[in-house]
Amino acid sequence: MRESENDLKHIGRFRQLIIYLNKLFRLFVLQNDWKVLPMSAVIAGLVSLAVGRGLFRTMEGTFQGTFALTCVCIWNGFFNSIQSICRERAVIKREHRAGMHITSYVGAQLIYQALLCAAQCAITIFVLGVTGVAYPQETVFNSVLDQAGSQAGTGFTVELFITLFLVTYAADLMALMISAIVHSEMAAMTVMPFMLIIQLVFSGFIALPQSISDATDLMISKWGVQSLCVISDYNELPAVMIWNRMSSGGDRIDIGGGVTIKDVMNVIDEQGMKDTVIQKLSETNQRADFEATFENLFTAWIYIIVLGAVFAVITVVFLEFIDRDKR
Amino acid sequence: MNIVDYISLNFYFFEWLITGIGCALIFRKDGIKGIYSFIPGLQQYFLAVEAEREEDGRTYFILAVCRVLANLMRSMFKEGSPVEIMWLIVAFALWMACLLFGIRIFIALCDVFCQKRRWTWLWLFFPGITSMIWGISPKFMPVHKTVSETDFEKAAKISEASIEAVQNGLTVNLTDRTVMNLGKKAYLLKDIHLSIPVGHMVLLLGGSGAGKTTFLNAVTGYEKANAEIILRGRNFYNNYESMKYDLGFVPQQDLMRTSDTVRMTLYDTANLRLPANMPRNEKKERVSLVMEKLGLSSVAKSQVGKLSGGQRKRLSIALELISDPTLFILDEPDSGLDGVVARNLFQTLRGIADEGRIVIVITHTPDRVIDLFDDVIVLAKDAALTGRLAYYGPVGESYEFFGRNSMEDILRCINQKDEGGEGRADEFVEKYSDVMEQLSTEAENA
Repeated sequence: MRESENDLKHIGRFRQLIIYLNKLFRLFVLQNDWKVLPMSAVIAGLVSLAVGRGLFRTMEGTFQGTFALTCVCIWNGFFNSIQSICRERAVIKREHRAGMHITSYVGAQLIYQALLCAAQCAITIFVLGVTGVAYPQETVFNSVLDQAGSQAGTGFTVELFITLFLVTYAADLMALMISAIVHSEMAAMTVMPFMLIIQLVFSGFIALPQSISDATDLMISKWGVQSLCVISDYNELPAVMIWNRMSSGGDRIDIGGGVTIKDVMNVIDEQGMKDTVIQKLSETNQRADFEATFENLFTAWIYIIVLGAVFAVITVVFLEFIDRDKR
Repeated sequence: MNIVDYISLNFYFFEWLITGIGCALIFRKDGIKGIYSFIPGLQQYFLAVEAEREEDGRTYFILAVCRVLANLMRSMFKEGSPVEIMWLIVAFALWMACLLFGIRIFIALCDVFCQKRRWTWLWLFFPGITSMIWGISPKFMPVHKTVSETDFEKAAKISEASIEAVQNGLTVNLTDRTVMNLGKKAYLLKDIHLSIPVGHMVLLLGGSGAGKTTFLNAVTGYEKANAEIILRGRNFYNNYESMKYDLGFVPQQDLMRTSDTVRMTLYDTANLRLPANMPRNEKKERVSLVMEKLGLSSVAKSQVGKLSGGQRKRLSIALELISDPTLFILDEPDSGLDGVVARNLFQTLRGIADEGRIVIVITHTPDRVIDLFDDVIVLAKDAALTGRLAYYGPVGESYEFFGRNSMEDILRCINQKDEGGEGRADEFVEKYSDVMEQLSTEAENA
């Protein structure tokens, strides 16, 4: 029995973090948490089939595709951590009373979830590549490096990976926060779809009245779509939807004297003006916040990082009060 | 203002006034200030308190405040604008939630007032008339256990004695443990003084609501009381951060990660709870030793979720034992275990106590293992519904003290009459208090 051991030092926050990190990776295998990895591959494959053809090729395809990719990231992030804390809340309370630091526990979760998200993003990019999505050659970083006179360069996949990772991770941290606030898995799973819908509605993909569009600034989805459109060089892509629609149905629209829209389009095509018309149509779709500049990309990333950091802090704050849980 | 607006405004005013008066009369029946009944939100909160659904009342109050805020936000925007509609939707959602919580409160109110639940509809649609009927009519009286001044007078006297700290054990000098309820101080525990030497295995006996868990939470420092807890000569509350490692608390549920293995669960706990400078090999040895002591060596590599109920309980105990605590507390360790497994478990606990620890156990089936205990703490609800110490001492003497043959009989003797007991708690609280005073005087004279 200990006589003077009461004042002995116990391991600090960092070593506790390592213990919990080991535990989380062990449970990743034992608890079948690894299932989220193949699931992310399947989801990426489905999205690629649905929107992959136009992604990074046309304005419309890219806008739809980046929105779909953002949704995939948010879905993956939410699913990774929505039950992580609430399912073992009572265990955390017991361990906290026995000396566990909440910051160590949350820190371990942050690292573990970051690696999980990174793996999912790598899988998503791989699946998109395999299923024939053509990645652009130009990148925002390269243009900045060129301007600086540097010979170094990065591939598009690097920018894509960072963006997808940030969106997935921020969504993951949001779900982690929900998991820390609610007291049961059922409550977490009830809140999750609600949060998902808010993210989708306020992503900027759906046109909203000006008076409430400011709320989109607080959405991971909005900044996710923006950063993906920026790295895709959205403003330089052709807007082909109007041309294609008119091509397919233009022969039914008579503009007078037996001349149809289709005839006019044929003339434009014959005179080699098609690209110019498409270019002009594209200019009407261009958006300043989607321009491929470092400032736009940096702004979007910073917003996502700040949102993620806020979620992480709220997670710690809520868990610090875990001892007040009723028995 | 047109005539319709004028009539509806008057209607709302009279509805508010009549409901307020009605509720004030209802509140008076429970000693709650009538003024609260005129404040929307608070009115429902105190109705919920009367209906013994304080938590629902609190939620209702928060929702009602949010609803007011949502309506305020709504009024700041142009009617028909998208933002105004958005706030309208929020306000509607909050109104729905308020309605649901209101129904829950009214149903509970019907139960407490022993009325048919169909009154809920009247409460919903005609709150003014309904509250007036309930408030005026003497037929509508709440039937719940309230503590009156007379009850306080009936409650056993306070001994005001304190126990001198034992050098090598646990000394509890608990004056009281209170909570604030409706702005009033409510006593959960009062006047508990005892001293447990090391090596003793103690049974904590008490009926439902007698304050067993509150007492343990006070002793462990999880919920501090107005008390002095001395463990091995040191004040537990003042040195909580360093002394918490000298305490092992085994909760009723097996709170462990079911997907982890037994060995790794124990090893991680050892890393967290044992001193930082202890070599890794020593920690591993400690894990092996504890597993061997609790018969877990054969399942070391198994997942926790695949263990039997008894094995899980042993692992739960092992987690606390790993840091070699002086004070070991177990909340119903035998729940869900059959007699043989339970006895085996208590024998293990006896072994732990014999190693020089203090083991305090709550169990609802004490008689099958009573021979393994040294002492018994009997907590009982007095007339004021406060948890009091009715007895602490050797098991054998407890039978004599209460004039009973079994722990179950003792429990029946001190339990309240509405709980199927004999309601003699105050008698024994006073008797024990007298015994203590006598012993104290004798000790002083000696």
